[in-house]
Amino acid sequence: MAAVLANPIARRLLRIPPSYFVFLVLLATLWIARPNMLNLNIMGIFIRQIVPLGILVLGQLVVMRVKSIDLSGGGIILLINYFISSGSFPGASLPFFVVLALASGLVIGLFNGFMIGNRRVSAVIVTLAVSIILVGLVQFLSSGNPPGDVPKLFNDLYNTKFLSVPTPVLFWILLTAAVWLLLSRTVFGRYVASVGENAEAAHFSGVPVQRTVILAHTLAGLIAAIAALVQTGSIAVGSVRVGLDLPILAVAATILGGVVFGRGDGGVWGPFFGALCFALLFVVMTVLGIDEPGKLIAQGVIILGAAIFYGVRVRTP
Amino acid sequence: MYRSLFNILSGRNTRQGLWGLPLLVALLISLWLTVETTQFATAENLFNLVAQAMPLIIAAIGQLVVVLIGGLDLSVGSVMSFTTAVLALDQPAIVLIPAVFVLAAFIGLINGLAITRFNVHPIIATLSTQYIVLGVTRILRPVSGGTVPEIVIDAVSGSFLGVPYPVFWGIVVILVAWKLLYGSRYGLHLFAIGGGIASGAESAARNFGVSDRRNIILAYVVCSCFAAVAGVFLAGRIVSGDPNVGLLFELDTVTAVALGGTQLSGGIGSLHGTVIGALVMALLANGMNLANVSPFVQTAIKGGILLAVVGLQSRKKMGL
Repeated sequence: MAAVLANPIARRLLRIPPSYFVFLVLLATLWIARPNMLNLNIMGIFIRQIVPLGILVLGQLVVMRVKSIDLSGGGIILLINYFISSGSFPGASLPFFVVLALASGLVIGLFNGFMIGNRRVSAVIVTLAVSIILVGLVQFLSSGNPPGDVPKLFNDLYNTKFLSVPTPVLFWILLTAAVWLLLSRTVFGRYVASVGENAEAAHFSGVPVQRTVILAHTLAGLIAAIAALVQTGSIAVGSVRVGLDLPILAVAATILGGVVFGRGDGGVWGPFFGALCFALLFVVMTVLGIDEPGKLIAQGVIILGAAIFYGVRVRTP
Repeated sequence: MYRSLFNILSGRNTRQGLWGLPLLVALLISLWLTVETTQFATAENLFNLVAQAMPLIIAAIGQLVVVLIGGLDLSVGSVMSFTTAVLALDQPAIVLIPAVFVLAAFIGLINGLAITRFNVHPIIATLSTQYIVLGVTRILRPVSGGTVPEIVIDAVSGSFLGVPYPVFWGIVVILVAWKLLYGSRYGLHLFAIGGGIASGAESAARNFGVSDRRNIILAYVVCSCFAAVAGVFLAGRIVSGDPNVGLLFELDTVTAVALGGTQLSGGIGSLHGTVIGALVMALLANGMNLANVSPFVQTAIKGGILLAVVGLQSRKKMGL
């Protein structure tokens, strides 16, 4: 094992995020099982479904690169879905909801960042607790029942196409490119990379570690709010359970994409393909007749497998 | 005397952490409930309270063992649901009860091996096993149902000399945990490893000849086994298998442990603090039920308490 890992070619291969391999394997499986499903229209629909996950992954990868984690996305999505569908803001327009959503995401992200960066509380505990509080509040406000309907404009926007590519998918690609530019071309991106590599060394080199962590979490909150808007557009109704499993899927897709705590080998496109893997995985599992429990097991196995893959690699010098 | 009392209340200079304050909180809540309601201070309600608190007390003690070495086990809730589902498999008790513990120990072993041998962060390792175990549980029992063996039901619902069985469960579990943490070499090693990890010297215990890897693996196995005991108790109470009974329970155990003054960074904590922390949580739930607080708000309040108690602990490390 150790000899294989020491081989330069093997080590070069290990630097490629697992998501690319998994994506190819899933594509091949689908091609063998249902070749007629591999056309642009059907794939567009499947990929469109995981756009909220794909967007959430963008926030997750930023916080995971500063050795943190954000599991509050489920609560944020539920809260924003409630704002839009409950009718608490009668006659409100689309821009109002967008601003409201972004503001809530910003505030929650800032709170997460403050607790994690300044108070140094465990990120898992903070973000899970925030999620539980938000879910509890939303369920209390709606007394456990789904709230009302979502303004029609949301779903209409979601269903549009641009040059036969669904707009949400295009939006996702643009947003991914924006985060890619942010991380690779700006000072903030350099700060994120250095804090993830070694927070102590970054601190002594004059990097504002605490501010970087807080900013990363604020960004993640903001991105979660965008994911919430897309998710609300996709289901087009109010719900008290929508998006609750998304944060953990986002963690899985990010790890699969080669971004593990503090290490960003996979860049932004590795996790992008990680999210695409889940789109294909759900299709393959539905085709093979595996239902919800099987999906839970697959999520767990993927996270553990990818984490072990990286753990073994870190060991070998 | 005053000095030591101050130390207990402030949790300073002690390996046990801040457990005096939660005890005070527990007493204040009990006092308030006694004055405010007539139902609280009755033998029936108090015994009921013990029975309600028991799964949390048992599972929180397991969580404590892992927290002492600076880890965290998020698979506790899933293991409990899984245990109730296995017990409801309609097989003889003589097969099921040992099977439950073997399976729980196996889950703990996977956690421990992933963390020590494969360098996976405890939270990631136990988060993935949480999902795997939950999936297996949903396959075994998609919705709640089935019946658990008679002997399990009898073991939690009877009484001896007017004292209900759950009280004895508590006494036995606490005695076993006491022996493990304070009366064995293993307990001493747990504090040694955790103290090293908390102060940033991961290899400190190893340098003194304490095998950290093996002890850490064992800690996760012990935690899963305690969760299985809690699951058996719960199965006896609900008389059936339920895939959702342990949902979010791992967070309750973390709250109870942190509330009892145990530092999540490891090395500092106490058994009595954890039991008090679990009792405070049970008292709050009891009080909120008596005050007719909506279950959704109760969930939100529990999240707030978790955030508050963990937020008050200071820690050097940032992030996970």
